Amino acid sequence: MARAATVRQSRPMPLNEQDLIIETAGLTKRFGERAAIDRVDLRVPRGCAFGFLGPNGAGKTTMIRMLLGLTHASAGSMRLLGHPLPAERAAALRRVGAIVEEPRFHPHLSGRENLRIVAAARGPEVRARIAPALARVGLAERADEKVKRYSLGMRQRLGVARCLLADPLLLILDEPTNGLDPAGIQEFREMIRTMVEHEGRTVFLSSHLLDEVEKICDAAAIVDRGRIVTQGPIAELAAGGDGVRHELILGVDDVELALSTLAAEDLVYDVRRSDEGLRVVLAGEPQTAAAVNVALVRAGVGVLRLDPVRHSLEQRFLEVTSRLEGGGGQALASAPSDGGSAAEEVTA
Amino acid sequence: MSATESVPPAPARPGGSLTTVAAQMFGADFLKLRRKLSTVIWSLVLALAPLAIFFVVRAIQHSSTPAEHPPAGGLDGFSDGLRLLALFMGPLAAILIGAEAGAGDHAAGVFRDLVVTGRSRLALFAARVPAALALCWSVMLGGFALLLIGTFVFASNMPTPSGTLILEAIGFTLLATGVVCTVAVGLASLTTSRPATITALIGWQLVASPLIANIESLGGARDAVLSQSLAHFSPVALHGHMGSVVSMGAATAILVAALWLAVFLGLGAWRTRTMDA
Repeated sequence: MARAATVRQSRPMPLNEQDLIIETAGLTKRFGERAAIDRVDLRVPRGCAFGFLGPNGAGKTTMIRMLLGLTHASAGSMRLLGHPLPAERAAALRRVGAIVEEPRFHPHLSGRENLRIVAAARGPEVRARIAPALARVGLAERADEKVKRYSLGMRQRLGVARCLLADPLLLILDEPTNGLDPAGIQEFREMIRTMVEHEGRTVFLSSHLLDEVEKICDAAAIVDRGRIVTQGPIAELAAGGDGVRHELILGVDDVELALSTLAAEDLVYDVRRSDEGLRVVLAGEPQTAAAVNVALVRAGVGVLRLDPVRHSLEQRFLEVTSRLEGGGGQALASAPSDGGSAAEEVTA
Repeated sequence: MSATESVPPAPARPGGSLTTVAAQMFGADFLKLRRKLSTVIWSLVLALAPLAIFFVVRAIQHSSTPAEHPPAGGLDGFSDGLRLLALFMGPLAAILIGAEAGAGDHAAGVFRDLVVTGRSRLALFAARVPAALALCWSVMLGGFALLLIGTFVFASNMPTPSGTLILEAIGFTLLATGVVCTVAVGLASLTTSRPATITALIGWQLVASPLIANIESLGGARDAVLSQSLAHFSPVALHGHMGSVVSMGAATAILVAALWLAVFLGLGAWRTRTMDA
């Protein structure tokens, strides 16, 4: 699916409580003195693919385990599908499917039998969903083989089928593409986007793979050392979190004339030399690149190339984590936060 | 993976009565157990093989020296075989089954996936007990069938047990092994480890219990030994035989067995409810 291969467009993150499928406030998990999750305020809007991005050991799985009631929170509050946890755990989890770490099954049972086990716990009506769920993930033909004969990729698919038994409004997937081959990863991405775009499900996807989050997700939170460093739409995160700035790299035949021309243009927010050419920060939407080109041509500047700069979440991620490495948590705290933007710089 | 095939939507409210849900959960847990071939085979071996060996050896002894060795079957053979099945080897099979039922989900790593369904952890724990009992009792009934075959086939001219005695013996076998199996479910749910549970309970059953029961200086404290309280319910005389050395009243025997059940079921339920999944 072409969409899965492109970076999601920035769109406002709804902050209305009714639009939030996951909401935590001051959520903390301590193991002795060490805080694995440290006063996290997470807000995941409904109907999107939301990435939970962080390096190994950042606290992603611990966060997921708390949300699913697998471990108790030390402090703070959580709401899942509008239900407070743990008070309304059963109601909250009824329409939630999850894969935590690698999907595990009874190896001596077949794929179908493993789903029967979970269907029995979910309720009698769920059994009718076993066959369609297996078909959905492409395991119908091998559903009666014992799981111990499944490859890791097949187990991942069976894990997704197990999630689908809940007819989930929310899927929580922890490192879901581990063990999948490239074709499987691509299919998986397509399935996630279909679930979000055509079925209205929300997918909360934890990963340490920047590329994966960037390609699948609409929005993300970057977590490191138990703290959410920043969260918001992917494009805003990549742009720096204080509003989207579209940039161009220009190749011109007269650099000085181009600099003076662009400096006088309202369309241009900033322009400077770089190794690649002139780096132009647009004041407006990407379409203003055409107007910049026209202005240069009118001024007699030959435009040899005009390339939009694709902001990378990886750049942003490395920038954020490198600031933390330098003890720069305070730098983030003091970074300007756009009140109207959904990209929030959060410190605990 | 197909991105487009649809899965039937969930109804607005969860369906099914409590009984239906309980029956399904029992069925699921029983499925896990009965498909675990290593557990089923070893349980059958423990329950059947000693009985088969017992009858075959005694039949050979009787055929070689009838004056010294009575027939293998009959009422005597039935009594000895019952002790072997209900108080000695049957409980070992029950321990294997109970340990698998109590710790199987943890060993496979699927307990967290069951918790994520939103189903009460106590319900998940509770479903293990009847499933374990169902398999345990199926194995024991197989063993009891072998006991009856040996009793009647090798009876020769000896008296055979009455129908009432047979029914009482079935009840006794199911009670004795059922209690041990349930204790094993509770302990395995507490430890979440099959090897630890099996080692601890077999060690208790085969080594510690007979030792404690034979230390007369312990007096009434020996009543707390589970196998001694269970032996009290035997329909055939056991006192002085293997498996029964402590005399106690019926009320004490019931109380001791009930306490064992309550303690281990309570601990298993507590651990299942509170542990990190």
